[in-house]
Amino acid sequence: MALNPYCNFQKAGSFNSKVLLTGNEAIALGAYKAGVYLATGYPGTPSSEILPYLAKFNSSIVNWSINEKTALEIAIGASIGYKRSMFTTKHVGLNVASDPLMTFALTGVRGGLVIITADDPGMHSSQNEQDNRFYAKFAKIPMLEPSDSLECFNFTIKAFDISEKFDTPVIIRTSTRISHSRSIVSLPENLTDGSCGTAAASSSKLQLQPYKKDIEKFVMVPVYARKRHKLSIERLKLLSDYSNNSGINKIEYNSPDFGIIASGVSYQYALEIAPFASFLKLSFSFPVPDVLIKEFVGNVKNVIVIEELEPFIQNEISLLGINNIKGKEYFPRDGELNPDSVKKGLFEAGFLKQSSNMSENLSFVYKNGGAEMPLRDNGKILETPQRLPALCSGCPHSSVFYALKKLRVPVMGDIGCYTLGALPPLGAMDSCISMGLAFGAAQGLSLTKSSPKKTAGIMGDSTFFHSGIASLIDAKYNNAIFTAIILDNSTTAMTGGQGHPGTGKNLSLNSTASNKIDIKKIVEAIGIDEIYTIDPYDYNETFDALKKALNSEKLNVVITNRPCVLYPEKINSGKKFKVLGSCIGCDLCMQIGCPSIFLSPDSANAPSRPFIDDSCAGCSICRDICIFNFIEEIKS
Amino acid sequence: MGALITKNFENTQNIAYNILICGIGGQGVVLAGKIISLAAFKNGFDIKTSEVHGMSQRGGSVSSHIRFGGKIFSPLIPKNKASVILSFDIYETLRYISEFANDKTIIISSDYGKMSSWISKNKNDKIKKTAAGIADIAGFLTNNFKRFHLINDKKMAADLGNIKVSNIIPIGLLSNYTDIAVEQWLKAIEENVPEKTVDLNLKAFLAGRKEAGDKK
Repeated sequence: MALNPYCNFQKAGSFNSKVLLTGNEAIALGAYKAGVYLATGYPGTPSSEILPYLAKFNSSIVNWSINEKTALEIAIGASIGYKRSMFTTKHVGLNVASDPLMTFALTGVRGGLVIITADDPGMHSSQNEQDNRFYAKFAKIPMLEPSDSLECFNFTIKAFDISEKFDTPVIIRTSTRISHSRSIVSLPENLTDGSCGTAAASSSKLQLQPYKKDIEKFVMVPVYARKRHKLSIERLKLLSDYSNNSGINKIEYNSPDFGIIASGVSYQYALEIAPFASFLKLSFSFPVPDVLIKEFVGNVKNVIVIEELEPFIQNEISLLGINNIKGKEYFPRDGELNPDSVKKGLFEAGFLKQSSNMSENLSFVYKNGGAEMPLRDNGKILETPQRLPALCSGCPHSSVFYALKKLRVPVMGDIGCYTLGALPPLGAMDSCISMGLAFGAAQGLSLTKSSPKKTAGIMGDSTFFHSGIASLIDAKYNNAIFTAIILDNSTTAMTGGQGHPGTGKNLSLNSTASNKIDIKKIVEAIGIDEIYTIDPYDYNETFDALKKALNSEKLNVVITNRPCVLYPEKINSGKKFKVLGSCIGCDLCMQIGCPSIFLSPDSANAPSRPFIDDSCAGCSICRDICIFNFIEEIKS
Repeated sequence: MGALITKNFENTQNIAYNILICGIGGQGVVLAGKIISLAAFKNGFDIKTSEVHGMSQRGGSVSSHIRFGGKIFSPLIPKNKASVILSFDIYETLRYISEFANDKTIIISSDYGKMSSWISKNKNDKIKKTAAGIADIAGFLTNNFKRFHLINDKKMAADLGNIKVSNIIPIGLLSNYTDIAVEQWLKAIEENVPEKTVDLNLKAFLAGRKEAGDKK
């Protein structure tokens, strides 16, 4: 059994009862301290590490759910049962859970319920960069925005109290730079002593309470929902008072001329660049503290809002009738901020004078009209290699995409590692929009008859469970004709190898046993009778099955059955392959996009030929693809 | 400036020491970041680090920012403010110097460079072959940085008995430029590597520590 992390802190990581934690770890620690009873979620970067870390404390029920909607609904049930619960998601996952969210915002809670939404400005690993702060306003519920790991810890504890005090779910909104940055967290003394090795010292005041019905609170039929909606509007006033008076939002007066209003990581960038300024730091950023804002704007001559993505705070301030506040005029509305973009914006807004190190000119960087040129040395251009993200060596998805590329069919795609099948050289996926889109979009596209070829839809196993099952049922119901491909690698690979219903494994160590759900049986139960189960390491079998499926005028399903090479554990096939010296350099094997196959440099008298380095995972796909048999296994 | 960090801790209150670690997915950038940040943390500095997960584990370029000193605000290193760039791949060294190095930056780079794969000979494909050779890059870095350390970390690690510890060797070299006590480094390594490999990793660290030469 994994050791409770508190024991590890005591053993090693802590320094005078301080620990160095990521924002995600600090949130988990805060939830543990708050005595969370149940925590659920669906993996999604940058939120995925919260639940696994919380599970290590072995004090709450911590489980991955099939999707975000179900995860939030489980948490809601626990709240109705008087227990504290938490739901974690990436920004787009909250869209999936928004149905229960919008109405649970009316009913309110029994046990405190906290929603962690981790946004991804800059789209490091996401398909959009929506600003989830709007969900707080949309649902009329409070929101906290931590700016470092210590605040992640403290705000999580506070969020449960706020939830119970104001009878509302609470949103904690982080971003990639908060969730994945490490900073120091001071541990409260009452938890560093004596809790090691035992179950959590739960600080939740909620004891086991017998279940009671309360239909006026939880049955949102119109007659009750109308009353609850009024209450949620009244609640906003109370929350606004809290935002102004609880001390969580703070003013620090320094310069009488320059003032900055900021939240989240933007606050840290602002402090770094303009420590002389006066600050209104928003930690409880919805509802905004109107009284504090009016006071700040009244006392400081020039005030600017620094925030990532949308002008959320700026708009809220405008609604107070204050119109001379600047913000998005100087800071981009897309992408991440960083110390340099904050510096640039503050300079343009007149907060900073041009300083000598504004644009540090390096002797070796040649600039051309502002654009940086490649580095040169004695006239030679030093170019860095492009490194597009690629499927791993030995990835079982590679052969499927290679075959689809050869079959030249329209492919509606989905979200997971296999999204990389859209990139060159595979280039065999034509859409990536939302989780579970593929089968719905394949039905719609096929109905347009815009392609003479049969349409394919492709998604992974975790995505199939997340939301693919419903669209496959719809396809059968509506007599759609396309080929549904399920890439079953027995894990949720892109986010780091989490369990899902098809794996039969989950996070909680003792409290629940998981069951394994069989994908093929689900497909059969839908009534689809043409099902191909294939081993994608056998390229020829894969190609033949896909060709047959795509030539059949029926709704059919292809399921692959090779596990991921990385998760849940690295697979070492023990095999290696090599390119023979007789190779004519035709380039076919390069088209798999395998990171172990390289092109050797041209030499004067020989054409450049591929070679396979020692990172080869031994999957044999390239051997099958080389029509000249120039690739063979290395026999030792 | 001799050592990266002055002997007198009080003098560091307003200075941030910025270490950028770079490489490609799977080379141990994240682990190196953990070890360095833990060592600095144990030495009593305020510290922030930032790394990007996600797509990076699929063979892309990976970087980790580590900042420590008296009081740290931004988790990201500002442009051209790296005190040290520590790199496990010389092509990645080249990628990050324009954005993060200044003339005084200490460059510690492996002489290993993984070529971009799936370069196509087909002219219509967008991925083209890189022009730079490893020797060209090393020459360029030598000409432009007074404190450039090129290390053959792979060979050194192989000589020690396991190529997997190659990512610990540059950390040993880096440690010379800090006032972080050796014991803190050793502890930080011990806590972050598998138990069976502790001895080998500590050896790799000490081997790297001997490599600073007279550039320090």
